[in-house]
Amino acid sequence: MEKLLNDDILGQIRDVFQKMQHPVELVLFVSQDNCDYCAETHQLLGELAPLSDLLTLKVYDIQTDADLAAKFGVSDAPAILIMAREGEQLTDLGVRYLGIPSGHEFSTLIQDILLVSGRDSGLAPETRAYLKSLTSPLLLQVFVTPT
Amino acid sequence: MIRAEGVEAMEFSELANRYQISGVPDTIINDGAARVVGAVPEINLLEEVKQAMQGR
Repeated sequence: MEKLLNDDILGQIRDVFQKMQHPVELVLFVSQDNCDYCAETHQLLGELAPLSDLLTLKVYDIQTDADLAAKFGVSDAPAILIMAREGEQLTDLGVRYLGIPSGHEFSTLIQDILLVSGRDSGLAPETRAYLKSLTSPLLLQVFVTPT
Repeated sequence: MIRAEGVEAMEFSELANRYQISGVPDTIINDGAARVVGAVPEINLLEEVKQAMQGR
């Protein structure tokens, strides 16, 4: 299979990932049904993961790993959950991407990895205080298109 | 309790159609309680979130 990321890009990302502080696990859910971009997303993340010791990739299937998919509230693929990892412990910080992160969205994925790795939202104190005070769920879905 | 997801509108066209997404980025808050089109400063997004959460 031809590589998706060329050596130039791999080198650039490797450099950017030097800034990673804490471990991040990419949890990818794929599906055998009706998922045009699952294989390519798997390949893309597979090329990304080796670029830092702090980055790992786990791949699950929505049908065969149905319990896990239900636990994470994943019903469609490809779904990339960008989780904080400490040893064997995973924490879902609620950051995810649905679809193949191509074009401009690829750098969004890289930024998300760095964000989770820093374990800090970078938000203003007022925003943090408000979000901490929430007692019911908040869902933000940012729709984008491939560039 | 807080989830933020990027959604590729062409692969997830059913979802995009549900919210009648045309221009991107388009941020849908709480299954349609509010919508923010375009990239906005944090303070604006916070306002929209506060308004969306008021119904709960």
